[in-house]
Amino acid sequence: MKKETVIAIVFGLALGGIVALLILFKGKDIELARNKAIGPKGKEQQLLGEPLKQIQGLELTSPSDGTIVDKNSITLTGKMEKDSLLVIQSPIRDMTARTTSNNFKIDFPLALGENVIKIVAYPKDKTMRAQEKDLKVYFLDSEL
Amino acid sequence: MKKILAYLIILLALVSSALFATSSVFSQEATDESAIDILKEKVADKVEELRQKNNKAISGFVQSNENNVIKIKTNAAEEYQVKLDPDLTKYFQIAGTTKKEIKSENIIADDYIIVTGVVTDKTISANAVFVDENFLVLIGRVSEVDKDNFSITVVTTAKEEITLDIETATKQSIVNIETVEIESTGFSKIKEGDTIHFVVKKTPEITDNTYTAKKLLLIPQEYFIK
Repeated sequence: MKKETVIAIVFGLALGGIVALLILFKGKDIELARNKAIGPKGKEQQLLGEPLKQIQGLELTSPSDGTIVDKNSITLTGKMEKDSLLVIQSPIRDMTARTTSNNFKIDFPLALGENVIKIVAYPKDKTMRAQEKDLKVYFLDSEL
Repeated sequence: MKKILAYLIILLALVSSALFATSSVFSQEATDESAIDILKEKVADKVEELRQKNNKAISGFVQSNENNVIKIKTNAAEEYQVKLDPDLTKYFQIAGTTKKEIKSENIIADDYIIVTGVVTDKTISANAVFVDENFLVLIGRVSEVDKDNFSITVVTTAKEEITLDIETATKQSIVNIETVEIESTGFSKIKEGDTIHFVVKKTPEITDNTYTAKKLLLIPQEYFIK
């Protein structure tokens, strides 16, 4: 075989290999570009680019469990996702509230002695489980 | 004449210096006293701060009360020894919105008490002991409604099965699913599958998980479908 023929064959094979690799890598992008998104138009990139949203879980910042106070009410402060339903129950009072932000602050009455208080948060997404916190607050006179 | 004048001046000087010295002593004493008062106040404030910081409350059912030591068991089944001081520890019975002073001997087994004081490990040095009532505040799902006996079975979030007797004294409420306000309701509105928040009084005699409901608050299952 002539030297020129061999060179031509080698070049041909190399060029063919490069084209094949290009087709392999670019083909995926072409397929994606051809796909149609099922959803609001114009928001596909935004949805794809958006990271997973962190949902605020129920947190009770004050008071702490076992607190002793000398007055007949306390302020419950904490965090929970906006638009959740809070149900607060104790032996002397039931209360419901809708959170208007990720933080809540609620005044709650106390009975003399031990107060067992249960706070339950039902998230806005009703398929998600409720979260609950328990605490005991003692209303005892200051003269002691 | 000059002599008399000189003596008068000397006498005047002596009296003045004596007066001056006395007033200095008094003002020094006054300064010392006010410094002592300030110090006493600071010490008292610090003691009060430490007392409040270290003052804890533990509650549980009395197991025994003898020899100035009460043994109690909490709802979490933890046992504590309550050390009583014959001179300093005070005892009260809570009744509604008032409390009445009682004696140590009035506290008997199965009483539910709250003890305040300094806690060290499983021992508490009691400043005060209050006899109170023990309530459980729970949440669960209604699994069965017995219309004949006015009772319901609830499975709590802790997977415990509890039977609740609904009596005329039971306060029954329901959450309006539109407004989320609490409204009054009746036994006939309770359905299987409803979420229920309830309060019961616990006593040591109850061993079969059957309680009389003090109050209940229903969240209709329709709230979760919407």
